[in-house]
Amino acid sequence: MTMKTYVKSLRCVECGREYKIDPIYVCEFCFGPLEVTYDYERIKLDMTRQKVESRPHNMWRYRELLPIDGDPVTGFDTGYTPLMNARNLARAWGVKEIYLKDDSVNHPTLSFKDRVVAVAVTKAKEFGFDTVACASTGNLANSVAAQSARAGMKRFIFTPADLELSKTINSLVYHPNLVTVDGNYDEVNRLCSEVANKYHWAFVNINIRPFYGEGSKSLGFEIAEQLGWKTPHNIVVPNASGSLMTKIWKSFKELEKLGLVPTVKTKVFAAQATGCNPITTAIKDDSDVIKPVKPRTIAKSLAIGNPADGYYAAKVTKDTGGYGEDSTDQEIVDAMKLLAETEGVFAETAGGVTVSAAKKLVQSGRISKDETLVICITGNGLKTTEAVVDHLQRPTPIRPNMEAFEELLKKLQ
Amino acid sequence: MATKRVKLTFPQDLIKEPVVFNMAKKFDIMPNIRRAKVTESVGEVVLELEGADKNLESGIAYLKERGVKVEAVEGDIVS
Repeated sequence: MTMKTYVKSLRCVECGREYKIDPIYVCEFCFGPLEVTYDYERIKLDMTRQKVESRPHNMWRYRELLPIDGDPVTGFDTGYTPLMNARNLARAWGVKEIYLKDDSVNHPTLSFKDRVVAVAVTKAKEFGFDTVACASTGNLANSVAAQSARAGMKRFIFTPADLELSKTINSLVYHPNLVTVDGNYDEVNRLCSEVANKYHWAFVNINIRPFYGEGSKSLGFEIAEQLGWKTPHNIVVPNASGSLMTKIWKSFKELEKLGLVPTVKTKVFAAQATGCNPITTAIKDDSDVIKPVKPRTIAKSLAIGNPADGYYAAKVTKDTGGYGEDSTDQEIVDAMKLLAETEGVFAETAGGVTVSAAKKLVQSGRISKDETLVICITGNGLKTTEAVVDHLQRPTPIRPNMEAFEELLKKLQ
Repeated sequence: MATKRVKLTFPQDLIKEPVVFNMAKKFDIMPNIRRAKVTESVGEVVLELEGADKNLESGIAYLKERGVKVEAVEGDIVS
């Protein structure tokens, strides 16, 4: 599969200055973030619903709207995850229709990060890098380690030194250079920034960030296609850096611009943990400024205290008539259990965050019970079992005979 | 001479104080403001600081000491 590119430029989100396609990430003038722009007129001629539907079930079926020039090098089984009709949850909350966009089964490392990393690794190859790097304590590290292994690239992962070994197994198995930095979170951030500036590497969430982020759009494209080429009335999205939510919104607006979905009236809602809620706080305070926080939450995959796209994420909720909601650790665990018990889905803590936020937003009336609601589940619960282990019922032991079993059965009934 | 791109977040009680000016003077640092936003309760300034390595370090430590949050412009990277 050889493709032509529809990418036009990188553009500063703040001042609008344009740059040619390079591994750069902030505007030289105002230090605003850069975003990929496309030639929508040409895409409109080439991208139809029928064409998309005829392609394999992976994220590259929307390739005209993804920022690569040639053939992808990874991500051939990534994306097109289930959009589950959550009838039991809908009944429990009295909502007309709830769907779960279930990236807990995304390939290859069971989180939505596989989407962004598939684009980042492909783009890294196109730029001529031989090394892919990231700073991560979880899902991103897993995906970078796995996908750059498959792409045959060298891989560096940076983590704080105090991260438990068990958390690194899902990355170590792919044999990356896993560097544990003997410093606090801020010091790891600073070192990675310096490494990215000095070495000619593809640091996926630094110098490849504008391209990497675009991979998230595939989640939004899929939701619209799976709903029969329309966007939902409401969507609840977990927020870490805020990027995912801005990209889902961008994906809906792009489909609208191309005439692939009717006018978008979706309200976008942000979900965070109470222990790390700079974005939902700004939304609730109706403030333009995101105040950085020190994260303290079990939802580690959302624990970004100084979110790069926080302002833009808060703006999306405001522009669409959405809102923000946060949940305590206990509420997160309760929601994880609720999701498992009602829908048979074991989500990671971030899934508990979105389900809990959705419940509160329905209860407060911000999400109408007569409308369609999509809840994003972005990672698999098997990765964060420690969050729930102390909150589950214990197994019931019996002696090895029928009498003992029937005695137990009587008690249970 | 080295440069650093930083985002400063000021709490309400510091908005009226010339904290950046004082830092610049005290540590011989040249600040170059690229973007700023101030509301009733909080202020945010994105700027480039230029100075000797050691001075930049001391200047940033001074800002933090005064209660200003100092972050990289690219936001948190570890995720």
